[in-house]
Amino acid sequence: MTGRDAEDTEGLLRVLAPQVLGAVVRRYGHFDTAEDAVQEALLAAAQQWPGGGVPANPRGWLITVAARRLTDLLRAEQARQRREENAARRMLPGEWLAPSADQPAAGSDDTLILLFLCCHPALSPASQIALTLRAVGGLTTTEIARAFLVTDVAMTRRITRAKQAVAASGVPFRLPPGPERPQRLGAVMHVLYLIFNEGYVTTSGPGLHRSELSGEAIRLARLLHRLLPGDSEVAGLLALMLLTDARRPARTGPDGALVPLAEQERSRWNHACIAEGQDLLTAALPRGATGPYQLQAAIAALHDEAPSAEATDWPQIVALYEMLMRVSGGPVVALNHAVAVAMAHGPHAGLARLAGLEADERLAGDHRLSAVRAHLLELSGDLAAARDAYETAARQATNLVQQRYLHTRAARLTTSDVNP
Amino acid sequence: MKYMILVYGSQQDYDALAGRAVPGQPTWSAEDFAAMGAFMEEFSKDLAGSGELVETRGLTAPVHARRVQLEHGVPVVTDGPYAETQEVLAGYWIVECESFDRASQIAARLAACPGPSGSGGSPADRTPFADVRPIADSRNELEL
Repeated sequence: MTGRDAEDTEGLLRVLAPQVLGAVVRRYGHFDTAEDAVQEALLAAAQQWPGGGVPANPRGWLITVAARRLTDLLRAEQARQRREENAARRMLPGEWLAPSADQPAAGSDDTLILLFLCCHPALSPASQIALTLRAVGGLTTTEIARAFLVTDVAMTRRITRAKQAVAASGVPFRLPPGPERPQRLGAVMHVLYLIFNEGYVTTSGPGLHRSELSGEAIRLARLLHRLLPGDSEVAGLLALMLLTDARRPARTGPDGALVPLAEQERSRWNHACIAEGQDLLTAALPRGATGPYQLQAAIAALHDEAPSAEATDWPQIVALYEMLMRVSGGPVVALNHAVAVAMAHGPHAGLARLAGLEADERLAGDHRLSAVRAHLLELSGDLAAARDAYETAARQATNLVQQRYLHTRAARLTTSDVNP
Repeated sequence: MKYMILVYGSQQDYDALAGRAVPGQPTWSAEDFAAMGAFMEEFSKDLAGSGELVETRGLTAPVHARRVQLEHGVPVVTDGPYAETQEVLAGYWIVECESFDRASQIAARLAACPGPSGSGGSPADRTPFADVRPIADSRNELEL
């Protein structure tokens, strides 16, 4: 077995995993047990294919093996539960006429249904994320546990509970009905967005594993975009991820410390990623209503296009944040808007905006408000007040890396005070 | 048997760790901080690798703590109830291992954790410690 073969097999299996699971669940039901059966089929394939060769119809092979395994598992289970009143949930004869499990055309639809199922509103966000990564992303429980810094046992429990909740909710395996669909698609996009952020926000230390989560979120967003090419918000979400992730190489310094956007070395950004995000956005914007993901992607694109922080099209960014506040308000969007106003019209205009935000309870005691105020005060030349605001922000922050960053800014102002 | 390994720190320790100059305390440079993070990550990863780690958590600075205290039969909430120098719980590991001695051996590895290299206070002044406490898995164990 060569490493190349094993890698090819792994790639193929991850593409097929959700299709096979979808096909098996559609044909036989029993989401929780089917998931176990498919995992075992994938494991068998990972062991056998690199040495023995990939079968002519890999998808059919996996479905057959998983279905056999599912029968075994269900038999064992039924022996235990025979007397339980489970019968009501079993398949009705009418449902036996579902299309055959290995009908290839349905592969993409099944993956989409699986995504909807994993992001079911009955589950907590943490469970939605774990289940999506496992059932659609094809990640192992150990990989997911490592990414979220919990033990295998805890993650196994979380996934098992989530699978049982999906099974118990009795949702049929089909696309959500028309009126429900936009809301459910919103939940799917939100889960992918959370997975992306989980990977992007952590920058060092135990977070190294987590950068893989951003890659996984991008892969799943690509998949969703392929399944729903006409949905401009899905395109916007993928564009937002690409345009943000493009800055990753410049985002941390050699000692793992955070480098703010204005100080990043822009030549180190991933320009292929930026171009792809821009193309997606250009194609999506003229279609239909412009939702929050497209607006955020458009803001990210303006940053990515600018040769420097000063040369950024700040008035345009201000306008986009104003649109974003209208479609999905929230204190953090308003905070970003204040920064953009400061960059476009000077720090005093920004500070005036901040004053309006201070009454917002959702921002009370939030270090981000103090950090922004400190930054704008520094720009305005009021260094003593800026230093105090940086110290306040450091005290409010709970993350040590952020605290170190804020203390460093404060200390720098102390020195420049002495030697103006 | 499960054991809990507890480590302690004061608000001043947290401030020094966060890069703030604290009189009488050595400062943590970016390299010191990164080295400590790498050590802790390795430590927890080793425990996870040997199958002994049940759970580990770090706690945020004491200044973020709230105390809920019963006064005249009414719960009263106080923000930041600790003095600057008071050492309070800063983090813990729960390990499951064969003996109390093994748990103590694990805790002793923490002695190798890198500290600050800056001036101001010598290492001999400081005697950091970790406590190891057996966990009662049920009420029965406590009542015996």
